[in-house]
Amino acid sequence: MTNVQTGSGYYLGSLAGSSAKQLNKGFLGAILALACLLPMLATAGVISVETVNMAGRYMALAIVALGLDLIWGYTGILSLCQALFFAIGGYAMGIHLAQQGTLHNGIPEALYVVYPYKVGETRGMEVLPWFWAVFKSFNLTLVLGMLLPGLFAGLIGFLGFKSRVKGVYFSILTQALTVAAMMFFSKNEMKLCGTNGLTHFKTIAGYELSDPNVKIALYVVTLLCLVGSYVLCLAITRSRFGRVLLAVRDSETALRFAGYEPFAYKTAIFAFAGMLAGLAGMLYTPQANIMTPSYMEARWSILMVIWVAVGGRGTLCGAVVGALLINLLYSVLTSQWSIGSFDWKPEYWPIVLGLLFIVVVLALPNGVMGVWRKMVGKVTELD
Amino acid sequence: MNWVNYLKLLLLTSALSVQADPVIEQLKKLGSSDKDVRSVTLQEIANSGDQRMIPVLSDYRMGSLYLYEDNVVLGLDIFTNDDLDEFVPIADLFTREPLLQADGSAYLIPIEEIEIIEPSRKERKSVLEAITLLELSAPDNEQRLEAVRKTGLGDHSPILISKLRNLSESDPKRSIRKAADESSALLLLRFGTPAEQATAIEVLGKVRSVRSRSFLENLDRPDDPAVRKALKRITTKERQISTFNILNSGISSGSILVLMALGLAVTFGMMGIINMAHGEMMMIGAYTTYCMQELFKHTPESPNNIFFIVALPMAFLVSAMFGGLIEWTVVRRLYKRPLESLLATYGVGLILIQTTRLIFGDNRSCNTPTWLQGGVEIAEGMSLSFNRIFIFILCAVCVGGVVALMRYTTLGLKMRAVIQNRDMAASMGINTRMTDSFTFMLGSGLAGVAGYALTTIGGITPDMGQNYIVDSFLVVVTGGVGNLAGVVCSGMGLGLLNKFLEGTLFGAVWAKIIVLIVVIAFIQYKPSGLFAAKGRLADD
Repeated sequence: MTNVQTGSGYYLGSLAGSSAKQLNKGFLGAILALACLLPMLATAGVISVETVNMAGRYMALAIVALGLDLIWGYTGILSLCQALFFAIGGYAMGIHLAQQGTLHNGIPEALYVVYPYKVGETRGMEVLPWFWAVFKSFNLTLVLGMLLPGLFAGLIGFLGFKSRVKGVYFSILTQALTVAAMMFFSKNEMKLCGTNGLTHFKTIAGYELSDPNVKIALYVVTLLCLVGSYVLCLAITRSRFGRVLLAVRDSETALRFAGYEPFAYKTAIFAFAGMLAGLAGMLYTPQANIMTPSYMEARWSILMVIWVAVGGRGTLCGAVVGALLINLLYSVLTSQWSIGSFDWKPEYWPIVLGLLFIVVVLALPNGVMGVWRKMVGKVTELD
Repeated sequence: MNWVNYLKLLLLTSALSVQADPVIEQLKKLGSSDKDVRSVTLQEIANSGDQRMIPVLSDYRMGSLYLYEDNVVLGLDIFTNDDLDEFVPIADLFTREPLLQADGSAYLIPIEEIEIIEPSRKERKSVLEAITLLELSAPDNEQRLEAVRKTGLGDHSPILISKLRNLSESDPKRSIRKAADESSALLLLRFGTPAEQATAIEVLGKVRSVRSRSFLENLDRPDDPAVRKALKRITTKERQISTFNILNSGISSGSILVLMALGLAVTFGMMGIINMAHGEMMMIGAYTTYCMQELFKHTPESPNNIFFIVALPMAFLVSAMFGGLIEWTVVRRLYKRPLESLLATYGVGLILIQTTRLIFGDNRSCNTPTWLQGGVEIAEGMSLSFNRIFIFILCAVCVGGVVALMRYTTLGLKMRAVIQNRDMAASMGINTRMTDSFTFMLGSGLAGVAGYALTTIGGITPDMGQNYIVDSFLVVVTGGVGNLAGVVCSGMGLGLLNKFLEGTLFGAVWAKIIVLIVVIAFIQYKPSGLFAAKGRLADD
């Protein structure tokens, strides 16, 4: 009861005792157990494979949220280009998958449909672009899908943090970059399938994507990646490195006076978050069966931030919970249903989302996790 | 004018007596069976310069003129009754109004009782020529210029050439003299003898006629030094025109950026608040303009231009009101947390967009007032449209207004004090809450004005603000936060750069990407904008 833990970000400000810790663990264990149970329920036929597939996609998005929480919740940098890193990972995997599908003249169907012919070129004269050939090998795709966003994030971070672009300015710049990238990917001339995006996937590593067992397997892989990323992020936040990140958030100037180079830490964590987003994109694409430039729209970047905000910034658990919760809410509220005489329409969803943005920022600055902690605090005090 | 018609009617119905108008006499002569009389009369009409005769001659060419009871009338569409008898409803030559009998019913004349006046097949071409000649002597400068330009691409005839020569020597307007030179040279180039062509090439080069490029190239004489010289001069002219157009569109898109960014510079630059709903304030301004149009029932058919004048203050006020509401409910609580203000105001934006969509549907358009339609032509190929001029002026007025407000009013003094040092200002007795509130309203109102201006060049959609928000933030960041001069420079600069890249080397998308990269590189080099604050303020 009186055992007040402070120090690491995970228990920051919480007056929770040992029983609270147990509650937290119980909660986490329950979620994990449910997640493990899902594929079994699906094979038993209690729930549909599509539900598992959906859960798999949401978990992939939760990985992005983890990375974003590291840079926003812990380091205090509001990045609006996680969606871009996510899309780069997604495109890497998508380009690989598209090449496993039907080919026309050696050109994947998705590219064949919108192939930008030069003057004088006709059907039959298509050439597979060199950057498509790179992604032919599955293993290389896996490496590049994380490496490319990581390198790109490192570059952005290096340029931005070196010249001390801070706070709001960094947000605006990254947002602008994402918009520019979206235009770039939408152009047919780039041979990235334009606004149609990458589609017509058939197999992954030799297995049929439409096979329910493959879908469940993908879910399991995603779950493992999520747990792995979570553990990794937890290790980072509990390490010395993690404490420096907190110091960057709380007082960068003081840190600099203490002899640290904040920009190196910021760049490193930014690149790491970019890699996580790339991983998430790679996991998301085969499960969603599509990857388009629309994932780089401004609303996606900001939506990712709101996942973290709803869950509770500065808590890794919150990032995951927030991402899952909002996506669940999204699937409920964008379908049509009615209670009694009240008809819910999907058109109301943006209004609910908007209200959520406002309420979370104004009333719940610590998100769901903050509420949970308060509740737990009360419950444990009653003991 | 009604009584004139009535008088004509009276004359016609009483006796259909001979009218004093000599034109009628001439037209009657056109109906003569003598070919020479007809051609002489046609020439007389062509030389008379009587503009009323242009439609009449085209009617004559189409065979719609009739001689009825010693008067020339216009026949409308032939009417057939159930017994297949044909009747011609007749109308006044010039007004084209159907002629009415004394009892108010229309004249329907059996086709046997009426004599048609029409040219022979061979004469039709000379009628066309006569029409062209008449158009060339139009008293209105614009119409004459248009006609002169048209002839250059039309048919050839010696009379036309001599008329054009005449115009090129004696016309009072310089532009028309030049156009006449060009047109006659074009005609000679196309139909003349080799000697005439040679002089034509020289003239076309001298007047830098852009239109003649394809004809010159079609001559297929790439080695001819005269042709090459002419083409070179024409290319220079084309460059001038494209430069002008780039400047024109660049300045107008820059004006919109400045208008948008001006409001942002006020809220973001001065208060440190990221208002992602700023684009939606613009959208509200545009929808207010649309509502005013509906209220005043302004349609293209029955224009009611007053709506546009009322809409300006309304757009400002309504947007400012919404801004005030947002400030009061949301933003006020977030002054210490600028990053989170981004999220909350984005949520506000989402709600506004969707609510507007639910109320108004997806696409609305606003008809510009009649006095903003069209434009003024500075030179051939270079024209300024009135709506773009209007936006530029509006932008200039807004910038001037904001600067004046900041410099010369007590309110502006308070605003500047709060920006420079909030705590000090508060301790000096300035109500910072009120000042913040007002600043936010001002910024939102300016966005509303931007939306009002945008209605003159594009459609209105609920998410129109989203297209501008990132750009305008970039403008503010590049210009330097809290710096109006910087905002104006960077807005105009980015607008021009974008259009320049778009117009010369790259497409629209590449231009935008390059501009973004330039901005990012610029911020690397000057992190605090074009005109950075110096001294203590810079240490923030």
